[in-house]
Amino acid sequence: MTDKIQVRGLDLFYGTFQGLKQITVSFPARQITALIGPSGCGKSTLLRCLNRMNDLVAGVKITGTVMLDDADIYAPGTDVESLRRRVGMVFQRPNPFPLSVFDNVAYGPRLHGERNPVTLRAIVNDSLQAVGLLGVEGVGLGQPALSLSGEQQQRLCIARALATAPDVLLMDEPCSALDPIATAGIEALMQTLVARYTIVIVTHNMAQAMRASHRTGFMLLGELVEIGATERIFASASDERTRDYLAGTFG
Amino acid sequence: MARVALCLAVTGCTRAADAHVPAGAVITLAGSTSIQPFAERWAEEYAGGRIIVQSGGSTAGIKAAHDGTADIGMSSRALQPAETAGLVETVVARDGIAVIVHASNPVRALTYAQLRAIYGGTIRNWRQLGGPDAAITVITREDGSGTRDAFEQFVMGASHEITASALVTAYSGGLRKMVSQDPNAIGYVTFSQLNPQVHALAIDGVTPTEPSIASGAYRLQRPFVFLTRGAPQGAAQQFIAYVLSDAGQRIARAEGLAPVTIQ
Amino acid sequence: MMMMIARTRTWMATAHLSDAVIERCLQLAAWSAVTTLALITLFILREGMPVVFDRGPMAFLGDVRWAPTRGHFGLLPMIAGTAVVTAGALLIGLPLGLAGAITLAELAPMKARLVLKPMIELLAGIPSVVYGFIGMEILVPFIRERGTLGGPGYSALAASIILGIMVLPTIIGISIDALEAVPKSYRDGSRALGATQWQTITGVVLPAARSGIVAAVILGMGRAVGETMAVIMVAGNAVQFPGSLLAPVRTLTANIALEMSYATGAHARALFATGIVLFIVSLSLNAIAGRVRSGKRASFA
Repeated sequence: MTDKIQVRGLDLFYGTFQGLKQITVSFPARQITALIGPSGCGKSTLLRCLNRMNDLVAGVKITGTVMLDDADIYAPGTDVESLRRRVGMVFQRPNPFPLSVFDNVAYGPRLHGERNPVTLRAIVNDSLQAVGLLGVEGVGLGQPALSLSGEQQQRLCIARALATAPDVLLMDEPCSALDPIATAGIEALMQTLVARYTIVIVTHNMAQAMRASHRTGFMLLGELVEIGATERIFASASDERTRDYLAGTFG
Repeated sequence: MARVALCLAVTGCTRAADAHVPAGAVITLAGSTSIQPFAERWAEEYAGGRIIVQSGGSTAGIKAAHDGTADIGMSSRALQPAETAGLVETVVARDGIAVIVHASNPVRALTYAQLRAIYGGTIRNWRQLGGPDAAITVITREDGSGTRDAFEQFVMGASHEITASALVTAYSGGLRKMVSQDPNAIGYVTFSQLNPQVHALAIDGVTPTEPSIASGAYRLQRPFVFLTRGAPQGAAQQFIAYVLSDAGQRIARAEGLAPVTIQ
Repeated sequence: MMMMIARTRTWMATAHLSDAVIERCLQLAAWSAVTTLALITLFILREGMPVVFDRGPMAFLGDVRWAPTRGHFGLLPMIAGTAVVTAGALLIGLPLGLAGAITLAELAPMKARLVLKPMIELLAGIPSVVYGFIGMEILVPFIRERGTLGGPGYSALAASIILGIMVLPTIIGISIDALEAVPKSYRDGSRALGATQWQTITGVVLPAARSGIVAAVILGMGRAVGETMAVIMVAGNAVQFPGSLLAPVRTLTANIALEMSYATGAHARALFATGIVLFIVSLSLNAIAGRVRSGKRASFA
């Protein structure tokens, strides 16, 4: 089992406040790793470090290394735009652009220079197929993306991320704005996608982590308390804090 | 008339206690912007009461005299037949209209015919008048100004119009300013507005000066007229008498007008 | 106990009374604004419409001569003048304004924004006569001396430049609002796909803010159409179709301002008719801008 991403000694400061403390963790390729923990524990912050989205926040200071395959993404001179092409992200609230379905999915490839309409059409169709939206009633290529339902919009956002042919998909609480049926749909989708992509998902829903992931990591107050195979963590976590959280003592 | 009497009575009452201003009426003058500065000068020197001077233009002044909204209307143009009904005109001074060019312009004299052609748009280049090869910038006052009216009457005549491509000034002091900035400009202003930055042309051989205006040799001139509804009476009559007196006329001369009652 | 209840009842009744009084006062204030507007509208229409009916709209819109003391009421040269000067103002104001708005809303650091935004708002506070004065003293001689095609300096170009600067605060201000209203989630989504900041601005932010920016431009246009003082001082006011940008022009607003104090009878009514035209143009522009903006709000729902 190779590691797709290896994080070593990652510290993050918002000004003087330390948001991440010496995080060291590996994310295996083509597996779903879930990050759980109470609000404010830093799981989303860690996720956003993996595609350097925290660079966009003013006053943030990051030290440590994050190896994607064999290259440190925080090395000076790294092409951040290419990085984000390889490491896609899906957000908590679906955020399709106020454009058509087609233009949303084609946005990424167009950014990176793809102009050929035939190629674009193929990419869009493949991406929509992968998320189960191709040919669905009411989801036409020319349809305004904002007219889709909540679940369809989130699927569209996943398709949009897939269109740049990433290796990794980062999902930041992707189902928290969706109802249980839609959530089940997205989770099923994740299971089909993991055959091709490495997935890291942040969730505050413990049951979701248990259902949907291969590995689970528990974070608390900026630290990664422990990480391991999902079944083991949920059945018998080593750290007392993990056990307390899973038992619902706090959170 | 009753209105003036009422004003007199009211202001008489309020002023009685005031030791500084002599007991007398407040009278209002309204009308021509050309006359306004002179009216204000006369008002400054007049000791017989308080004078309020408003502008609004000759047309507004005629209307104000007619309606009674002012005690004296000021007009710097001749009244049209329809406007004279009920009004008495008193000429208090004569104002020459000088045709001006930039101080650097070598052209110093024109004929009325040439002036008409320039303003009519048929002569367009100073070269045609013995000057440099440059397009003439023709500047005029706005349609309805008393000064423009007089200019059109004497220079253009009934059958010619000022060309539509002439620049029109935004306010009465603007014309001199525009001419003083543009070496190729030509315009017209009241004689009293002349200053060293512009040069007044001799028209048909006559340069505008106070004597040539007073004598009528310089034809491009107009009367400054005070209008009253009926014959001037009371405070208005006293003020007009002052303006026509030696003292008043000397002030007119000092300010650049041609007096009417003194030599 | 009964006394307490009675006292409370009285107090509540008084509270209800003063509430009602305040409500009446506010209603009065609102209605007086509406009434004033209605009265102005009626006055303009009453003064101007008779001459339009008398001579027919073609006397105003079909005639190219404006010589009201001689019976010609052609507004076409002035309509052309207003159109040219407004178009010129937008040609200058739109690119500059949009660039300024993008810079302030998206690119400039917070410190720069805190200084620059108030300065731009200050521009809106400068009286138009001051703009006109600067135009007369500096811009007009500059155009006259530099223009190789001649012309007196007083021109459609001078008016366009001054107006372009005058509409900048409007365009920038409303465009900034439109840009800031674009949800952060769009920007995040775009950056997460590998877009640079500039690609995000052109790919997502500007399309999302488009209706707001269109509204800004339309309102800027309304400002330019209605501006009088600055234009009168630099445009030359010649009653002719602008043959070139360097030729003097007269706008509809200038037409009214120049002649209103002297005009009587049919001439004055003709000027009121000009006022009606301007009124309709302004109202339409404001209405369109309003529609465009509310359309945008709906699309974010």
